Amino acid sequence: MATADGGAYSYSLTVFSPSGKLVQIEHALAAVSQGTTSLGIKASNGIVIATEKKSSSILIDDSMIEKVAVICPNIGIVYSGMGPDFRILIAKARKSAQAYWKIYGEYPPTLVLTQEIATVMQQATQSGGVRPYGVSLLVAGYDVHRGPTLYQVDPSGSYWAWKASAIGKNMINAKTFLEKRYNDDISLEDAIHTALLTLKEGFEGQMTEKTLEIGIITVPSTEELEAGKIGGETGRPKPTFRKLTEEEVRDYLAL
Amino acid sequence: MECSFALTGKDYVLVAADTTSARSIIKMKVDEDKIKTLSPHLLMAYSGEPGDTVQFAEYIERNIRLYHIRNLYPLRPQSAASWIRRALAESLRSRQSYTVNLLVGGFDTADKTPHLYWIDYLGTMATVPFAAHGYGSYFASSLLDRYHNPDGTLEEGLDALRRAIDETAKRLVVSPGKYTVKVVDKDGVRVIDL
Amino acid sequence: MSIMDHNGGSVIAMAGKDCVAIASDLRLGAGAQTIAMNFEKVFPVTDRLYMGLPGLATDVITLREKFRYLTNMFHIKESRPLQPSTFAHLLSSTLYERRFGPYFCEPVLAGLELTPSGTYQPYIAGTDLIGCLNFAKDFIVAGTASDKLFGVAEGLWEPDLGPEDLFETISQTLLNSVDRDAYSGWGAIVHVITADKVVTRTLKGRMD
Repeated sequence: MATADGGAYSYSLTVFSPSGKLVQIEHALAAVSQGTTSLGIKASNGIVIATEKKSSSILIDDSMIEKVAVICPNIGIVYSGMGPDFRILIAKARKSAQAYWKIYGEYPPTLVLTQEIATVMQQATQSGGVRPYGVSLLVAGYDVHRGPTLYQVDPSGSYWAWKASAIGKNMINAKTFLEKRYNDDISLEDAIHTALLTLKEGFEGQMTEKTLEIGIITVPSTEELEAGKIGGETGRPKPTFRKLTEEEVRDYLAL
Repeated sequence: MECSFALTGKDYVLVAADTTSARSIIKMKVDEDKIKTLSPHLLMAYSGEPGDTVQFAEYIERNIRLYHIRNLYPLRPQSAASWIRRALAESLRSRQSYTVNLLVGGFDTADKTPHLYWIDYLGTMATVPFAAHGYGSYFASSLLDRYHNPDGTLEEGLDALRRAIDETAKRLVVSPGKYTVKVVDKDGVRVIDL
Repeated sequence: MSIMDHNGGSVIAMAGKDCVAIASDLRLGAGAQTIAMNFEKVFPVTDRLYMGLPGLATDVITLREKFRYLTNMFHIKESRPLQPSTFAHLLSSTLYERRFGPYFCEPVLAGLELTPSGTYQPYIAGTDLIGCLNFAKDFIVAGTASDKLFGVAEGLWEPDLGPEDLFETISQTLLNSVDRDAYSGWGAIVHVITADKVVTRTLKGRMD
């Protein structure tokens, strides 16, 4: 029973092993650590989330691959792990954000959306006939109450707020690198460069605008917030999350 | 026609309901008790659609009893009235709603105060010093406006109640003949002979 | 007689300078008969937001309880202040959920909205019974005396009234309007909301 592969506890049902482990969740984390590296850094005036976009063949049209996803105008997510699982979570997160908008007339705060996703992921560890999601997420968002915040969500459904974090392959090295480079008053521009430098550490192949995806949160000024509020019933506030275009990524790489 | 009255006094609530059980224009029974004792210090007078009344009153009675058994303490009057109101309000928007009007009177043993609630079949609830349902309410509300004393003794309360009942007997064409009268105070529930 | 008029009752909200006021009468009726003279129709939502609920009394109580539940859940889940504009949308979507079997109430909101620069801005709004929001800069009226309230408020209200003047204006408007409405009256309750406190006063009117 107590074999190296987890034995009877390693099948689809998430059941405690006598030692108190949920082996399925550990397997899910293993799937995550095989995924490409992603990271997020919170700066004094924004957040950057970035990931390596690796394709297994040069014949793949990588312009169609999306690893940094916009959830709603104030929240974006990047993942490491299984692409298909991420797609499902993104669809659920977007739906949840729109449902919140329908009730409150505004998009959810980052924490609320993160909890919503974490709940979905937790449920997969306790329901019959399903397996845990094979992804870890970095959720970056901005809201008026908490400002810019960065969360990590794991397959178990646990989540934490980070100043900077990395997930996927090389996450240990990347985190050590971030610990050395991070300080509390880093600017968004510096954070983007730190993100690129960190990814470079474990990068396989050439780092170009085609093999990178970057998303940023920019903190709006009081004037911008005020403008968004006035007649805010119909007027759309300016998005605080956006993905960098290939041109922008190329410019950052050139520096 | 059905009439029920209730009023609060100093540390007690009086509840009265007529005893007729009628079908169309025929009196079928003249000694029906239409005031349920829901818990040791809680009374509920009920009137309305025959059939609905007893069904609903028993449903409330059993659930209040169940709460008492489960928790060792009964619901306080305020909470009980709120729960009963909700039952009616939810029933109103169901396929077949209960047409039942209630007077809920109780003595709160925790803060030693009498409470009276006027509740109708819509789920409307009002906290009142005195209340009435049925045609008798047209006489009772004006008489009690004049003669009710919230700090009155039980005797004063009974006098006020008698005025309402007598006036109803005198002026209402279809007035009921007999009433049951109950009082709830710190000692619990008693039946009173007017 | 409409189901909206069965229990009677009226509510009015007014905006002032850095303050808002909201008031209701105290009557609860069953048709022409008065059942109670202590039936408040204005309830606190947050420290700086009050909601008036004139209409069918059973729904007044049910909605009051429903929104108390929803706002409590909001505070527990999100641990952040609930702004009037956010609550207005919650109100609207909750009422519209019952589009084809509505609650027979026409809510009125009065509160102070926190602006991004940290100041408080007067916020008043009303909805119909299915949640169609209506924003106004001056005043919002609803209930069985709404037609009279419109007229009197139109005559008495002026911009930039301070808390004391606003109290006087809203009180006179309500009291004089409900005197001409058989289904409203029996005194009134007035709340004046400023950034640092809420002042609540109970008024006697023509008690007949």
